[in-house]
Amino acid sequence: MAHPSATTAEAGPKLRIDRVSKRFPLPDDKEIEAIRDVSFGVEENEICVILGPSGCGKSTVLRMVAGLETPTAGVLSLDDHEITGTDRERGMVFQAYTSFDWLSVRGNVEYGMRINGVPVAERRARAQKYIDLVQLSKFSEVYPSQLSGGMKQRVAIARTLANDPALLLMDEPFGALDAETRWHMQELLVDIAENANTTVVMVTHDIEEAIYLADKIVFLSSHPGRVHEIIVPDFKKGQRFTNKEEVIAMDGYGALERQIMRMMREQGASEVL
Amino acid sequence: MIEPDRAHRQPWLQLRKPVSRKQGFLSAIFIWALFFAVWEGVSLAGLVNDLLVPAPHAIVATLIDMLINRDFVSDILISVWRVVLSFGIACAIAVPLGIAMGAFPAIEAVANPFVSAWRYLPAPSFIPILLMWFGTGETPKLVLLIIGVIFFLITLIMDHTKQVRSELVETGLTLGGNRWTIVRTIILPAAMPNVLIAMRQMLAVTWTYLVIAEIVASTTGIGAMMMRARRFLHTDEIMAGIIVIGALGLTFDILFRKLHRWLYPYLYSRES
Repeated sequence: MAHPSATTAEAGPKLRIDRVSKRFPLPDDKEIEAIRDVSFGVEENEICVILGPSGCGKSTVLRMVAGLETPTAGVLSLDDHEITGTDRERGMVFQAYTSFDWLSVRGNVEYGMRINGVPVAERRARAQKYIDLVQLSKFSEVYPSQLSGGMKQRVAIARTLANDPALLLMDEPFGALDAETRWHMQELLVDIAENANTTVVMVTHDIEEAIYLADKIVFLSSHPGRVHEIIVPDFKKGQRFTNKEEVIAMDGYGALERQIMRMMREQGASEVL
Repeated sequence: MIEPDRAHRQPWLQLRKPVSRKQGFLSAIFIWALFFAVWEGVSLAGLVNDLLVPAPHAIVATLIDMLINRDFVSDILISVWRVVLSFGIACAIAVPLGIAMGAFPAIEAVANPFVSAWRYLPAPSFIPILLMWFGTGETPKLVLLIIGVIFFLITLIMDHTKQVRSELVETGLTLGGNRWTIVRTIILPAAMPNVLIAMRQMLAVTWTYLVIAEIVASTTGIGAMMMRARRFLHTDEIMAGIIVIGALGLTFDILFRKLHRWLYPYLYSRES
């Protein structure tokens, strides 16, 4: 599978984050600076992973892209339109389970289309397509309380994609899953991103997950979060793999993992210890 | 030699292990049967003055006689009607207001200082003024029942609405929902199961205020019947009234549980 960003690089990035800073007010009239002067772009059909030690503000960046937070300074824009609030263009999957318990799997996947007035027939068809894509066909009439954690996250992914967003935002979506389910979900995500031509921006602190999934890794340093380095995992030669061990076995995987671990340690050490 | 069966026998007192449905049911029957058996025994043995403490069988006989021959049914119906009407009005105000307060902090900021203060004013203390304002008809009784529960109900509903997880709301926002859509399609359905439980709990409190209202200021209803009976030392009728109120309270509680199960079946299905 070919790396998609190489061909569209001329047109300018789809998502542009331009010198964005974010300060949160504290109760005692002081402020905390979460993000300082962060700039990077995400290309169409790219999987961009934001990685960094805890406290680097990676979730804050993602929440600003979603429109759930507003930047204190700088501009975020999607297809050259400034991001000013939440919109169906930028659908988000959270680490916490967000299934609507009162709706079946199908009801959940149709939800976004329903509130946006998509006609019933089209809604049905699109929901079925994405339910199939996340391999929940047998569970479409089941309530979320009967699903496992991995299945709930698949529902959330299908629900977001069925709403046809320009960007799929994911905030540590597999963080609450057990290790085995997590890598199955990572492989499924690669598969989905290929099949649905999705542009993905994902936050994680899992180095292995970042290297496996990312076409591009934005590594943030902490306190305040700044772009420390933008890493393209060159050893994958612009390919994507729906089989994780293939990537782990490749030359260059180990070296990159060591490099990022060292960066994690250096950038995060003062905080953890 | 140890019998194989003996090895699996569990002691009756299991530390924090849930009992089976059957054991729970039998235990509940047992404790009430014991209560009435002791009462009946004490009465039959002549250990208590049966003018003040009639035997259970005498109370049941009186109750049946009242229902069939003495128009007790109309007292029961009027009491039930007062509870249902006043509680319906209280819910019609409390549910939208409580949801709005829980969903929008700006509404909470205005309404909560007012609502929460009223909770500390005992509803029965309003009886004299309600009688002056509304006379002796149905209105003062209904108003008492409403102010007795509505402020607690609003606060409970607000709290349950606030407990709807922010990720659900944010998910709705990033799927393109506006504020009204989110309230209607996420906050409301997420909060309603707990709102219904709050309603069930406050309905029990309504029965308490009903009896107060009917004892103090009424000539009709179960409470008024009990006050009439007191004048003639008819302890059996008073106790029959208490039993009927208890039975009605329990019936409404069961109906609410059934309604909850029927409206929110997904809360009762677990991973199979």
